[in-house]
Amino acid sequence: MSERRTRLWLALRFKDLPLSALNAPSSPDKSVVVVERRRVVSMTANAAASGVRIGMDLTTAQLLSDCQVVTRDPACEQETLHRLCEQLYQFTPHIEPYRSRETAQSGLLLELSSCLKLFSGVKKLCEAILALLKTTGYEVAYGLAHSSTGAWLLSFDNHEIRGDETTALFIIRLNKLPIQVLADYPNEVDALGKMGFSTLGDLARQISANSVGSFTKRLGKDFAEVICGIYGIDQGFTQASLFVKPVESYAPEEYFHEEVQFDYPINIVDQIKSTIENLLHRLSDYLRKRQLACQHIQWRISDIHHRQEYIQVHSDTPQSDWRLLYDLTVIQLENKAIPFDIDCLELICHSAMPLQGSSQALDFSGGRKRRGSAQELSVTMAKLKARVGETAVHKVSYRDSPLPELSNLMIGLAEKSFQQLPAIHRNGLRPAWLFANPQIIENRQQGLYWHGYLTLMVGPERMVGNWWDEKVARDYFLARRRDNLAVWAYLDLYKRQWYVHGVFA
Amino acid sequence: MRRGDLWRGHSSHHLAARIAVDTGYAALNSGLLNGGWPLGSLIEVCQQGFQGEWQLFMPALLSGESRAGESRPGNPGLIVLLNPPAEPFSQALIQAGLDLDRLVIVKATEKAPFLACFTELTRTVACDAVLAWQPRANLTYTELRKCLLSASEGAGLYILFRPSSVQQQSSPASLRLFSQVVTGGLEVTVFKQKGMLQRQQARPVVLSRPDEWRGLPPYHGLDQKPHPGKIDDKTPPLANVSNLRGKS
Repeated sequence: MSERRTRLWLALRFKDLPLSALNAPSSPDKSVVVVERRRVVSMTANAAASGVRIGMDLTTAQLLSDCQVVTRDPACEQETLHRLCEQLYQFTPHIEPYRSRETAQSGLLLELSSCLKLFSGVKKLCEAILALLKTTGYEVAYGLAHSSTGAWLLSFDNHEIRGDETTALFIIRLNKLPIQVLADYPNEVDALGKMGFSTLGDLARQISANSVGSFTKRLGKDFAEVICGIYGIDQGFTQASLFVKPVESYAPEEYFHEEVQFDYPINIVDQIKSTIENLLHRLSDYLRKRQLACQHIQWRISDIHHRQEYIQVHSDTPQSDWRLLYDLTVIQLENKAIPFDIDCLELICHSAMPLQGSSQALDFSGGRKRRGSAQELSVTMAKLKARVGETAVHKVSYRDSPLPELSNLMIGLAEKSFQQLPAIHRNGLRPAWLFANPQIIENRQQGLYWHGYLTLMVGPERMVGNWWDEKVARDYFLARRRDNLAVWAYLDLYKRQWYVHGVFA
Repeated sequence: MRRGDLWRGHSSHHLAARIAVDTGYAALNSGLLNGGWPLGSLIEVCQQGFQGEWQLFMPALLSGESRAGESRPGNPGLIVLLNPPAEPFSQALIQAGLDLDRLVIVKATEKAPFLACFTELTRTVACDAVLAWQPRANLTYTELRKCLLSASEGAGLYILFRPSSVQQQSSPASLRLFSQVVTGGLEVTVFKQKGMLQRQQARPVVLSRPDEWRGLPPYHGLDQKPHPGKIDDKTPPLANVSNLRGKS
C-alpha cells in the first residue's frame, strides 16, 4: 500500500462577505450594517469607527451611527461563494465551501497537495490564488494547515505563507490558538474554559497524555471528532489510511449553449426551422449522454446591430427528446412576429435535471415517429398551453364548500380531481353549466326576467354558510324561462336580489 | 373507393360502414346512419345559446364506446371542452357519473387559436371527444373544412356548436343538427347527414327532459293566484324564503 500523502489545505475566509455579497448601493461616507435577527453581523469601516461592533443589538448600532441597515441574505452569499468556486477551479478541483453555524463567517477550503507540482510549489500557488482574489475585491484572510478545520482556524491567526511549512509547524501554530476560535461550539468552549483549558495546545497535551476518550465522554463524540480533525489524529485505527475521509471534488456548473451564425439575415420562420431542429438535436444528444432532462430552454436571437430577443420555451414534463421542444418553439415563433433580421440563433439550457426512471425508445434515426397515447396527450397539452396560455387549459374538481361557486375548483392538468360528493349535494338539483359570476335577474312588474320571463318550478333549496368570510344565505330554484330553458336561480336573502347561477342543459 | 368520405350517389348501402357511438336515445339512433353519432367526423349542432347540449351528448360521452376508448380498455380518453360558454359544474357532472379526470377545459376565444387547438385535439389519440363552441367570429367554409379534415384523422366524437343563425349557411360537416328546448323536452332535427339522402322535410325527434327538472308547484303555491314568476314582496313569502333576522 502506498504511503499516505499529507494533505495541504488552504482556507480562504471572506471577512465581510455578508456585506460585500449584497452589493448594497451606498456612498463611501454612509455607514452600512448588516443584521441578522436584529444583531449586527457585518459593517462598513465607517460604522466600525462609530463604535458599532459585531454582535451588537440593532438599536444600539443605530443610536451609535446613523447607519443604513441591510438584512443578511444567505442565498446571496452562497451565490458569491459559488462564483468564487468557479474561478478557483482553475487551481484545484478540490474545493469545499465552509459556513460557520454560529457566526457570520464563511469561506472556501481548498486542498492543494495534488496541484503543487503544476504550480511550482505551495508558495507560488497560494500567491496566484490570492492575486486572483484581490481582483474580485473581497477581503480575504487565509490559513494553511494539514487539515481543513485546522486551516480554517489558522485563518484567524495571520501567518505568511513561506512554502516550507510542515505538519509540525502547523501543529505548533494551532497549539497557540485560544479555544475561543472554536466559535461553532459555544457550550463546549464554555465547558472547556471552566475545566481550565485556554488554548488548543492544552487540548492537544491532554489528548497525548490520556486519549481523546476523556473529551468524548465529557463533551460528546462530535466535538471530540472535531478536535481530532484539527490535529489530524487517527483514532486508534490500525490501517488509518482506509478510514481517511475522501476529499470532495468540486463539479463546476455545466449547461448547454450552442449558437449558429447565419450567412445572411433571416426574417422568415420557415427558414430557421431546420437550424432550430439541428440545435435541438444537439441538445438532445447532450441530455441523453448525461442522463438528463430539461423543462425549460431559452432561445436568443440577435441581429448584426446586437439587438437581442429571448424566447422562453417551457414544457410541463421533463424532456430529453427534441420533438416537443421543437413543436413548442415553432408555436412560439408563429405566435410572435420576428422583430428583426436574425443573424445569430443561440440555444441555451441552464436547468437540466436527472432523468427519471422511465423507459426510452432505442431510436438512432432521430426522425419523427408516432408517439404513444400518454406521451401524445402531454405533447398536445403542452402545445395547447403554448398557444393559448398556461391558465387557459385546466381541469375541474369538486371542493367541499357551502357555496356552489367555491365548490367548483379549477385545477391544473397534472392534479387529480376530487370527486367525493357529499350526500347533501348528491341528490340536489345541479345545473351542468355554472356562471362564475351570477347574473342579475330583473324583478319586473310581470315577474322575474333574465332574457325572458322566468317561472319558478322546483325549490327552494337553502344554502347558508361562509360566515367566516362573507355571510351568505341563498334559496335556489329551478326556474323555467318562456323558451323552456331551465335555469338555476337563487334569491340572495341578505341582498334581496335574484340571480341566475347556472343553466340546466 | 374504400375511403369512407367518398360520396357515391344515392346508394347509401354501398357506403363504407363507419363506426358510430350509441346516442343513448333509440329515437335518435334510428334517424342516424350506422345507428349513432359518427366517429372521426365533424358533427355540427346549431342552437341558440344553451340548448340541452349535455343532455344530448352525455350518454355517448359516458358510454366510452369510441374507438380511442376501446384501444385503452379501462383507461378512457379525454373529453375536451373547447371554448365552452360557461364553466362546467363539477357537482352536476359527478351526479351524472362523468369522471372529472377525463374532462379538460380549453379557453380559446379567438378564431386562430381556436382552430389550431381544434385541429391539435382531434389529431391526438388521447381525446375521446371534443366539444367545441365556435368563437364569436363566424367560421368560414374553408375553416370548417379544415376542422372536418382534422376530425377525419382522429377517431373520437367531434362536435362543433354553432349559433342557429348559421343553419342556412353551407357547411362541410358530416352531420348537422338543430337542437332546441321545447315544452316536451329537447327537440333535435337532423337536417344534413352525409350518406343519407333527405327525401322529405326532416322530422324532429323530441328527447324528454329528466323527470326531476319537470317540477311540481309547491304546495303553498297551489292556492295562490296563477301568475307565473311574479314575485312580489307584499304577497306572502314562499314557505322557506323568510327574512333573516336584522335584514330587511
